Amino acid sequence: MIATPVRPRRLWSQRLGRTLVLWSASLAFLVYVLAPVAWLFSSSFQTEREIVSKPPHWIPHQPTLQNFAAIFAAKDRSVTYETRRAADPATGGYIPSTAASLVPAIGNSLIVACAVVVLNLLVGVPAAYAMAKIQFRGRPVSIYAILATRVIPDIALVVPFFLFIRNLGLLDSLWSLIITYLAVTVPFSVFILVSYFESLPDELDKAARVDGCSRLQTLTRVYLPLSLPSVVAVMLFAFLASWNEFLLALMFTQTPKSQTLPIIVASFTSDFTISFSFINAAGVIAVIPPVILAVAFERYIVSGLTTGAVKG
Amino acid sequence: MARIRFDGVSKRYGDVIAVRALNLDIHDREFVVLLGPSGCGKSTTLNMIAGLEEASEGELWFDDEVVNHIPPHHRDVAMVFQSYALYPHKTVYENIAFGLRMRRIAPAEVDRRVQDAAKKLEIANLLRRRPSQLSGGQRQRVALGRAMVRQPAVFLMDEPLSNLDAALRISMRAEIKHLHEEMRTTFVYVTHDQAEALTLADRIVVMRDGLIQQVGTPDEVYEHPSNMFVASFLGSPPINYLEGAIEDGASAPVFRRGSLRIGLPAGKLRDVSAAPVVLGIRPEDVMRDCPAGGPVLTGVVDSVLPVGSDRFLGLKVEGCDVFVRVDKETRHAQGERVNFGLLPERLHLFDKVSGGSVFGGAA
Amino acid sequence: MTASASLAHRLTRTQRLSYDERRAYLFLIPLAAVLMGVAVFPVLYSFYISLYSLKLTRPQRVPFVWFDNYIAVLSDPQFWSAVERTVIFSVIAVAAILILALFVALFLNEEFWGRRVLSALLLIPWAIPYVANALMWKWIYDSNYGALNGVLYQLDFINTYMVWLGDSDKTLALIANAFVWKEVPLAAILLLVGLKTIPADLYAAAKVDGANIVKRFFHVTLPALAPSFALVLIYETMMAIRHFDLFFILTEGGPGDASHVVAWRIYVETFRNLSFGTGAAMSYILALATLALSYFVIRALAQRVAT
Repeated sequence: MIATPVRPRRLWSQRLGRTLVLWSASLAFLVYVLAPVAWLFSSSFQTEREIVSKPPHWIPHQPTLQNFAAIFAAKDRSVTYETRRAADPATGGYIPSTAASLVPAIGNSLIVACAVVVLNLLVGVPAAYAMAKIQFRGRPVSIYAILATRVIPDIALVVPFFLFIRNLGLLDSLWSLIITYLAVTVPFSVFILVSYFESLPDELDKAARVDGCSRLQTLTRVYLPLSLPSVVAVMLFAFLASWNEFLLALMFTQTPKSQTLPIIVASFTSDFTISFSFINAAGVIAVIPPVILAVAFERYIVSGLTTGAVKG
Repeated sequence: MARIRFDGVSKRYGDVIAVRALNLDIHDREFVVLLGPSGCGKSTTLNMIAGLEEASEGELWFDDEVVNHIPPHHRDVAMVFQSYALYPHKTVYENIAFGLRMRRIAPAEVDRRVQDAAKKLEIANLLRRRPSQLSGGQRQRVALGRAMVRQPAVFLMDEPLSNLDAALRISMRAEIKHLHEEMRTTFVYVTHDQAEALTLADRIVVMRDGLIQQVGTPDEVYEHPSNMFVASFLGSPPINYLEGAIEDGASAPVFRRGSLRIGLPAGKLRDVSAAPVVLGIRPEDVMRDCPAGGPVLTGVVDSVLPVGSDRFLGLKVEGCDVFVRVDKETRHAQGERVNFGLLPERLHLFDKVSGGSVFGGAA
Repeated sequence: MTASASLAHRLTRTQRLSYDERRAYLFLIPLAAVLMGVAVFPVLYSFYISLYSLKLTRPQRVPFVWFDNYIAVLSDPQFWSAVERTVIFSVIAVAAILILALFVALFLNEEFWGRRVLSALLLIPWAIPYVANALMWKWIYDSNYGALNGVLYQLDFINTYMVWLGDSDKTLALIANAFVWKEVPLAAILLLVGLKTIPADLYAAAKVDGANIVKRFFHVTLPALAPSFALVLIYETMMAIRHFDLFFILTEGGPGDASHVVAWRIYVETFRNLSFGTGAAMSYILALATLALSYFVIRALAQRVAT
């Protein structure tokens, strides 16, 4: 924004005003975005004794890693509601028996998320190429139809799917999650990919086909290498959606064999005898992978959301 | 052998008919140019030869085989595109080699052909570069090279020179002509530029609205256009049209418009009727001197248009605008009344309603 | 070409799909299979179930009841209270999201040092799992040790720690706050994209016409932003209406039924009361309501992508 000065003094004060506004906006922004998360992190480094202080210690006076240690090694210490009330936690945090399933749950979440990413690409990329570059009967309607599948709330899917999976005996299996997550994420993936493919020139397609590529080879040797940004965006979205998903996992999993991270973490919050600092530490562990991914690949996420807009 | 034959081929996109009932025979090793304005179906026809589009009706023959359902990667054609369509993520070398690799040619042979083509096209020093680092002319050569090395049975070109500047276009035309002579394969070339068509073609196929208007050598379509569209499309500046009627004259029919009377050669007219006609005179078909008794064009000078190498006069003839070419040294004044001689054999006459040639057209 | 050959050719031509079409359908089959099986089929099956009185508490008797389930649901005052709460929640949440997202988008649209960093940080609330979001806010709202109490206490706004989530007057607003916090980044990015597509020429022309910042905002920015605004509005409303995770973790529909929204009600009916028939009917009603709303979203999105 370039000010058109009438007098130098006005320019100076305009710039000062703008700087002040930007600085205070930045501060407000940072507080709004980071403060809750910072508090989560801070709490996770506090001992049980410290965490129950009034007013709270914003920065831990005696930071400790024992909460995280407890997650990875199931140690039993007992703190009950009474001892906490008396602000005298005996020996530290109470670790529920379900704590032992936290690490396997991370494993489950990871397996599911990776499988969903791979399947998204295998199913979505050819479909997107066909929709973007091949003329076939029904093409105009297809993108509508695909996006329309996401209109139904997950709750509405759950009832029939629960019955269906139960009858198949697939309850409590990672596969039920993988397939449902795939169906839930693939429409958006296809949307991103189709937008990007359409922005690539048609004549490349023709040149490749005349050069001797079958349709599949045109996709793999010409279009895919040129679409890496959108492919990365698809991978990120699919991974994050799978890692964060809660409702469907709640419905379809029953034992630690298949329970994912969000389910285990949620199970802690409903039990008020559990140590708060432990819960917060579990929350931190759930938060770190997706946040790192999102912040590191911010560019791709934003471009993935905007390819459609830029084209429009 | 690369003989291409269209047998009653049509191409429809929903309700739009891009090409209708096309019948065309392209001979082996011929340089055929598909010429016409935008939307006339020339690119669609080319795409059908390549296999990028499938015919809705009719049959397309390569030699003795119907190829309608054969996809492009199973046909032995190479194509050069208007926008070059180079692969941005590959080097120039890889761009040229790609088609050969896809057809499993041995690497040693691939290298030999690529180096050969690069040398011929004078791009050997660019082989390691990416398309984004090249100029338009250089990209054009890479596109040519990519098609050349395939040594295809049919060479297709879709307005390849349209994106180049004028000077480059002229020199590239000559190169393409050389290429055809060297490679000795069938060339099918699409353009809307009539000068390009006249320069390059063995035969020109003039198209309009999905229909072939005329097929012939450059001389044939230029000297003997079969209808008004062909006559006006070829030739720059375009042919002059004068509407009028035919009368019986002393020894031969006479074209009459107002007080203008132009005698036509006896015996050449297909039929003399009272139907309205249009007389066509090309700007260069007028003479300074008027041979005795011959047809004379009389008009009033309206404008003078020098164009460097030539000089044109805009005349008003019986209310019509007629442009004629004159000597560079000739001087005329605005409003001056002038006479030009006409060669009867060079006149064209068309039926006004159908546009078809009545005289002077293709036999 | 002989007559018989031409006839034969015409027959094969109509039966046969072109190579291109065959490839296209081949590429689309996996996608179609997944969506048919996992999205379309459950929807149809769900409707089928909603026509039966299916209670897992009484699995041996499953009578066909036509639309009785729907009537039961629609005439249940508790259902309508849930609808009311859902509407209140959605209105609060979406309004807050739009306003905050607009500010954030305008802010991030300016050029200044550090903007890239802040844009990246903006993604943090969006990236964290709903569960983590829920437990984070549950901890902040905690009556005994929470940060909200702590901050207000330290700033002398209150004298003693208050009950937050347990106070039925405040429940919906607090849950909405947690929801808004997580949704603002996405909304802000969508608005930011809309801002970036406004041609600079429009602002230049407005300036030449003598418009100051406020006038430019109302006469150039807002109108040009209308489509993005509409998209965000409809999308976030869809999300708010169907949201479940926070209600499950923060309050379980409580206290009492202060946060008993439709999504929660469906869960309770299906998985706690084990009445699948009515649960299905309820979810169908919710689905139809969402469908009507989202018709506009789909059209807007697909227009950007369609041929």
